[in-house]
Amino acid sequence: MSCDGFEKLIPLYYYGELPPEDEDGLLKHLYGCAGCARELERYQALARAMDRRVAEPPAPLLEECRAGLMDAIHGGAAARREPVARSLRARLLEIMRTAIGSFGRLGQPVGAVGLLAAGFFVARVMGPAPVLAPSTTASDNPTSQVYTTVRSVQPDASGAVTIGYEETRRRELTGRMEDPAVQNLLLAGVNDENPAVRVESVDLLKAHANSGEIRAALMNALTHDGNPGVRLKALEGLKPQASQPDVRQALLRALMADDNPAVRTQVVDLLVSHRDNSMVGAFQSLMQNENDEYVRRQCERALKDMNASIGVF
Amino acid sequence: MAQEAIEAAGLRLSPQIDSLIRAAQGGDEDAFEQLVRAHDQSVLRLAVNLLGSPEDARDAYQEAFLRVYRNLHTFRFDCSFHTWLYRIVTNVCLDQLRRRKVRKEESTVVETSDGPVDRMDSVETESAHADPERKLWNRQLKERIEGALAGLSARERMVFELRHYEGLRLRNIGEILGTSEEAAKNCLFRATQKMRTVLGDCV
Repeated sequence: MSCDGFEKLIPLYYYGELPPEDEDGLLKHLYGCAGCARELERYQALARAMDRRVAEPPAPLLEECRAGLMDAIHGGAAARREPVARSLRARLLEIMRTAIGSFGRLGQPVGAVGLLAAGFFVARVMGPAPVLAPSTTASDNPTSQVYTTVRSVQPDASGAVTIGYEETRRRELTGRMEDPAVQNLLLAGVNDENPAVRVESVDLLKAHANSGEIRAALMNALTHDGNPGVRLKALEGLKPQASQPDVRQALLRALMADDNPAVRTQVVDLLVSHRDNSMVGAFQSLMQNENDEYVRRQCERALKDMNASIGVF
Repeated sequence: MAQEAIEAAGLRLSPQIDSLIRAAQGGDEDAFEQLVRAHDQSVLRLAVNLLGSPEDARDAYQEAFLRVYRNLHTFRFDCSFHTWLYRIVTNVCLDQLRRRKVRKEESTVVETSDGPVDRMDSVETESAHADPERKLWNRQLKERIEGALAGLSARERMVFELRHYEGLRLRNIGEILGTSEEAAKNCLFRATQKMRTVLGDCV
């Protein structure tokens, strides 16, 4: 092949898109051809310059786009995004309106009682300030916070009203991490819908990953949690356990499926330092599919160390 | 082959995304919102870099995700969601780029009462901090690079953005653009050749 032919391969070589045989041929040629070697250097300089151009969209623009999209879809994103307390208040007002409407048919006094009851309800739901449990040994202290949800309001002909409601009482438990009750609640916290609770729970549990149940919860969080912060915390907890086969399998699943580069980068480091021959196929697959240069380089290094071929042929 | 190896290892790509898609197809709006949030940062970055203005990028973002919203029920999991989404996004951006070619390339620099202002300065770049060397680069090389990119065809521009900035493999780019890996490869080669010609003396 002439120098012109090799020059055509340089951009593809730079992006790791050359088949191995073409790459070998190009590398041999570059070794003996100063002109083409300079061409590669020039291309690398061009790519570096292009790298400096990339613009990350500012966070406000992203938020504006998201709000605009939800507005376009629903015709009122603001209503969907109101804080929980405000939503509750709005729901209360709606219930009050419904109740007052019903009471209206029964006469003013009953309506007034309804309003009083609704006012009481508002106070109860908004609740007093949280009561802190004493920081002693594990204890189960009910606080004065009660969350009430009215499910039905049924006035009858006699002038009485039947209100169906549910009460949720907030409880607090204070104890040390060794306490099984604390661990059980934190294991429940790992599956909470609030990501902040999940992060805190995983963060506290990660020092106890030698327990089978906690390790299983961390592996589940690593491979299934939708929040990258939670997954990274779970990964920290699993690091000392990386020699365990089940943990390595979970790490491998995270490496193949996680869409967050920070998670994949940390997982690949951990797997490479605890590599075994069962990972060869997965590393080879990543060499074909992985977009992150660092992850690919780490896989390549591990495959070379294991005397395995780089590609899947 | 690689996909087979993954399946042989009992692994499945993006199970969380799959379940979000299924939930969104079933009408779960929160799942749709989560699906958007899982992908929209890279979509917006691509749109900003390709289209050069935050306003156009915002329009492209909205148009693309509205198409996703309206057509999600047609997604059949016969390709990755990422590929399907990027087909839509690239089509929207290509349309915009082609329309712009027809009405001549818009400069990102607009005249204001305070003198010329680059609209892209409102977008954060790596060189946004007060490093004089970087600022100099901003003024000179950036103009040359934007000029070089403007000289590419819409398709060359798209392939270059997806390969260089989004880090997608050419095979995947071919799938997204509805063409072969070989065609994407040729497109990338033409794009890099054109840029080398324009920028050859300043890198």
